[in-house]
Amino acid sequence: MKTSYKIFAVLVVGLLAAGTASAQYGRLNLNINYSINTPVGDFKDVVNKTSYRSWAASLLYGINDKISVGLGTGFQDFYQKYPRQVYKLEDGGDISAVLTNSVQTIPILAQAQYNFTPGAVVQPYVGVGVGGNLILYRQYLGEFGSSATKFGFAARPEAGVFIPFRKGGPAGITVRADYNYMPIDYNELQGVSNWGAGVGVKFPLQ
Amino acid sequence: MKNVLLTISAVASLGLLGSCTKEPLNNLTEGESRIYITNYDSTASFASYKTFSIVDSVAVISNNRLEGKAVSDYDIAIIAALKSRLQQQGYTLVNKSQQPDLGINVSRIYNTSTGVISYPDYWGSYYGFYDPFYWGYPGIGYGFPSYYGTYSVTEGALSIDALDLKDAGADKKIEGVWMGLVRGSGVFRAANAPGQVNTLFDQSGYFKTNQ
Repeated sequence: MKTSYKIFAVLVVGLLAAGTASAQYGRLNLNINYSINTPVGDFKDVVNKTSYRSWAASLLYGINDKISVGLGTGFQDFYQKYPRQVYKLEDGGDISAVLTNSVQTIPILAQAQYNFTPGAVVQPYVGVGVGGNLILYRQYLGEFGSSATKFGFAARPEAGVFIPFRKGGPAGITVRADYNYMPIDYNELQGVSNWGAGVGVKFPLQ
Repeated sequence: MKNVLLTISAVASLGLLGSCTKEPLNNLTEGESRIYITNYDSTASFASYKTFSIVDSVAVISNNRLEGKAVSDYDIAIIAALKSRLQQQGYTLVNKSQQPDLGINVSRIYNTSTGVISYPDYWGSYYGFYDPFYWGYPGIGYGFPSYYGTYSVTEGALSIDALDLKDAGADKKIEGVWMGLVRGSGVFRAANAPGQVNTLFDQSGYFKTNQ
């Protein structure tokens, strides 16, 4: 723990020394993105339809020209309705039902971002967020549902470009893609990991 | 100031996006809302039964109380559908005085409580509402295996029970050998009756005889 603390301190000092700048240095920037998300891995067993009802956001403070740190969050809504089918019950009985699965996730992440070309017309960046994930899982047999709220781990590596409205300006649009690594172990819900892509805006709050 | 407005509008947009969760219940048709549950006594030999008789009215059970027997359009439709489908399964319809092998009870269950009841409770609560005397066995009780699980009843349900009358005298008990339960929206619409009976029997492939 002590060692990691030292590494962190060195990193922070190093990052602070790495450069100074105009666009993001010393500013608190809000980045909000509309997002389209596609389930991957075991999540596809529960929902395999792409969601068009998601967003991702971050609130990052520029500790220097290239690096900013802060918080990331988002919201993802996944839904799938399976046609009527007969399912076997544990005791030998049968149930015929239209099955609907509904999953919402809200990650809360500690996030860092690295901007490769601050001040340029197009600024590619990469970032990563690590933290927790609030998952709401509902399953309906016909109109009869059950629900569970779970908390899990989440990691969100992302890459994108920032295109300022004016050259060197702090506000602009973002085009990004991310991978949401979201493990969970609850009955048939074995993970809610997904790919996401979207567009948004970024602007300073002060 | 510009940034404050931008922030407010951005947060408002997020709120709107967050509220556009696709709600499962708003995306179901009436037919899709219904579920059909069947279960049976795995020791029963359905091929050994040859004849059946069915009640001439439907028991209406509300909040665990027998309200009475009824013969609504729906009740007539469901009884007719059962007669037709059981004959398709190879059974012969006889009068209850002709010692049928199987007796078929039909109940409409209304429960406005939001409590959770289990299947054993379900049997325990409802099987007695048809007097065994109806089937010619005064003084003996019904017996039902304790099935599985729990489910909540907050609306109407159609319940159909198949009873083993062939062995009732020897067993001193009228055993339930099959149950079908339909729940969801539009359960008690007469036009839905044949479809409901067919769905229950389609998923109960074992429920047939060879004559």
